Amino acid sequence: MRTGRLRHGFSVVLCAGVALAAGCAPEPAGPDLRAADLAATPWETIRAHARGTTVHVGMWAGDEARNRFFQGPVTEAVAAELGVTLRITPLADVADLVSKLLNERRAGRRSGGSIDVVWINGENFRTARQAGVLWGPFADHLPNIVHYPDAAKHRDFGTDIDGFEAPWEVAQFVFAYDTARITDPPRTLGALRQWIERHPGRFTYPAVPDFTGSAFLRHVLVHASGLDPEAFLHFDEARYAAASARALDFLAAIRPHLWRGGETYPATPADLNRLFVNHEIDFSMNYSPSFASDRIARGEFPETVRTFVLEEGTLSNYSYLAVPFNASNPAGALAVIDHLLSPAHALARVRAIGGLFPQSVESLTPGDRQAVALLPRGPATLAAETLARHRIPEPDAEYLVRFERDWLREVLQQ
Amino acid sequence: MRAGYDLRLVPVMLVVVGLFGLGLGAALLESVEAMGGDAAGSTLDHYRAIAIDREFHAALGLTIWVAAASTAISLVGGVGAALVLRRLTRGRPVAYAFLQIPLAVPHLAIAVGLLTFASPGGWVSRLAFTVGLISAPAEFPALVYDSYGMGIILAYVMKEVPFLAVVATALLLRLDDDHTAVARTLGASRWQRFRHVTWPMIAPGVGSAALLVFAFVFAAFDTPYVLGRPYPAMLSVVAQRRFLSLELADRPGAMAFALVMTMLAGTLVWAYMRLSGGSAGRERPVIY
Amino acid sequence: MLRVTALGALGGLAAGPLVLLAVTSVAHHWYWPALVPPQWSLRAWAYLATPGAGVIEAAATSAILGTVVAGTAVAMALPAARALAARHVRGRRVVLFGLLLPVLAPPLAAAMGLHSVFLRLGLTDSHLGVALVHLVPAVPYATLVLAGSVANFDTDLEAQARTLGARPAQVWWHVILPAVAPGLAVAGIFAFLISWSQYLLTLIVGGGRVLTLPLLLVGFVRGGDEAVGAALSLVFIAPPLVLFAGVARLLREFR
Repeated sequence: MRTGRLRHGFSVVLCAGVALAAGCAPEPAGPDLRAADLAATPWETIRAHARGTTVHVGMWAGDEARNRFFQGPVTEAVAAELGVTLRITPLADVADLVSKLLNERRAGRRSGGSIDVVWINGENFRTARQAGVLWGPFADHLPNIVHYPDAAKHRDFGTDIDGFEAPWEVAQFVFAYDTARITDPPRTLGALRQWIERHPGRFTYPAVPDFTGSAFLRHVLVHASGLDPEAFLHFDEARYAAASARALDFLAAIRPHLWRGGETYPATPADLNRLFVNHEIDFSMNYSPSFASDRIARGEFPETVRTFVLEEGTLSNYSYLAVPFNASNPAGALAVIDHLLSPAHALARVRAIGGLFPQSVESLTPGDRQAVALLPRGPATLAAETLARHRIPEPDAEYLVRFERDWLREVLQQ
Repeated sequence: MRAGYDLRLVPVMLVVVGLFGLGLGAALLESVEAMGGDAAGSTLDHYRAIAIDREFHAALGLTIWVAAASTAISLVGGVGAALVLRRLTRGRPVAYAFLQIPLAVPHLAIAVGLLTFASPGGWVSRLAFTVGLISAPAEFPALVYDSYGMGIILAYVMKEVPFLAVVATALLLRLDDDHTAVARTLGASRWQRFRHVTWPMIAPGVGSAALLVFAFVFAAFDTPYVLGRPYPAMLSVVAQRRFLSLELADRPGAMAFALVMTMLAGTLVWAYMRLSGGSAGRERPVIY
Repeated sequence: MLRVTALGALGGLAAGPLVLLAVTSVAHHWYWPALVPPQWSLRAWAYLATPGAGVIEAAATSAILGTVVAGTAVAMALPAARALAARHVRGRRVVLFGLLLPVLAPPLAAAMGLHSVFLRLGLTDSHLGVALVHLVPAVPYATLVLAGSVANFDTDLEAQARTLGARPAQVWWHVILPAVAPGLAVAGIFAFLISWSQYLLTLIVGGGRVLTLPLLLVGFVRGGDEAVGAALSLVFIAPPLVLFAGVARLLREFR
């Protein structure tokens, strides 16, 4: 009768459900390693526990060359050296993952998390640390941590690290222009302002909450204040009030001369690059000093593009690797992080996808030191010395958070 | 047949109530959560905050404008296209094949395609430059990231004009030609024939289809996410942004936001059911 | 003559963006104001084919999810559609409202709520969780579509077959099924397309761990690689185009 079809329908659903559930059986995870036991556990034991397991790494996956490098050579190297299966989980934005961890913590999911290692820094690290969703401390137990300068190990955008993340890559903010269109780009913030006023509609920056756009705002905050960048390492209410007032004045002054009259801003660096390449604006910007060379090689930028930094200096920061509090494979996570901190990996990465070499040369073997000196540099990438001479540290994260909020209120929502 | 509860409806209602209803219920519970978690009791603060939220009002205004404009253009374009096609092809199927192509393409893909096609750096702009209409990308009308959601409207129009054309065509096919023939012999012009004979007969069917389009555009996310500007954004984009925010405190607010949208959509559904009477659900809205 | 140009213009407008996507996917160093790419490259397509790019995995996930969702939705929708076609069913208007609301109301609120519930059940980041949330728009939609076609089915045929001594299974197989088969196919294909195109629902409940084509596509569009984005768009569009071509023929038949 009619119930026959009903039963038929239910059994179809049941079978489908079972098939799906069976298809997502969890991969074998390492035995649970507690952070408190870390001091007592020798490194060899950790590596032994990691062998044969799978480690899920959550990292930003919006770049094809980067993806190919990590899913190819890095996965092979990790398998060969550690016997670990590496799985990359693509993230559009780390903030999404942190939000997920916050929710998981609130719901009481303290184990069996889907990600073991996360690439993180700045504001996201601060939020994660404050909410207690990171596993650790662990950084000082990693053998390869010695290759990184002390400054990178202590504070991340002003937040105390306390060993809850390990420094990994280094970035420095650069601007890009097309030598076919501009022969002499402005080299100071003041000169940039004059250029914008003289060429209306040819400059813009990504809107907050994009990280690159936020970085541009930080440059304005630091340089328009007239203060030494070191003054911004610790948050001070009065200093913020004075600096933000001058920065907002600067932004208000250039606003009518920006692209689209400053009524809107591109949402991502990709949109910004698209405008740049299609002759709508004349400048682009990015945290990766080799971003222009990479895109030239990919056929996305014309060969005449070059990069420059401001005379007053551009911001440079480290990005880190951390372990979520509910990671299902902490031992594997530590082993993989240590591998990623090795000079061998750093050299291979810079060779494959560009970027700055992140480690202190003094800590390296003579052979590696030679290799660093011989690292190729793309046609649009500035020399390491130039970048080093024009480098300023990131302000405390609180400046970031406050100024982003003010910008949204005062500039975007006008 | 005996009137009674039909068991055959159970699986489907399980999904509607057990999944959709459960989701709405959970969202409702969380949206009245006071700051400080479960212990702090419930509050309507989040809803009150929405009432005075500037971003909500901007988003609501933009969303209603985009939905209304898309629906209006699609209605006129769709019915017009149906009439024109009917005359041009005498009902031969080949013309309708062209209409089916946009119908098949998912909204997300159309949005992505428009970025390459209709943005100031896109292909149409380059064509305009080549024929001398413009001399710089800035002179090309802003269709993407603009304050009136033009690109978004265009993306929806590209799919909803074919949809309404198909609906109108089906309705026109069922029409009796006798009425228009009589009108013609009485001396009525083509426009008069349309206005007084054809339109009143297809209006209910086309009208309810248009209401479906309005409801869909009102709530959709994919297209404004790709083509819209950061501020003001459309309602669903704002809701998603708040849901994924790092401030856990934003979550109840995001739920309240989404529930307000659902309530607004609910009234549209009710209006649709009133309008279409017993034949509700006959059209197949193109909702993907 | 006018007929041909009008049809040609329509065709161009409909197919133009698709052609442009195809060209963009193989273009190299193509900037404003060039109308034609100065150089060509298969880099984007080669990248899509590499196993590490996640495209094959995402396409497989989307296809399997879509098939399971479509099968489940149609299996549930058929009995319900038959019930709706019978005019005497109690609470018909309520049921209809319940079917229309998930289809037309923003899926956001329900997805957010389900996310909280699934979090406690451990269903987030799982394929099962995503399949369940896809059912929310797919099942009502399939029911509505099927109800339209089933309404035309003549129950007298069924009754006649039964009086002639046919067993229920025979009635089902030889009378009912052939009559509703086109409607089933249409409903199934639409349910598949709904699942195939989902972005927000998959993102919220799947947490980014369940990787489908729309998620990958948005990632590349926002990441800036034009050629890969265009190539991926074509991969994303192809199955719906093919399926829809099949549906169009069926649609004309049973309308």
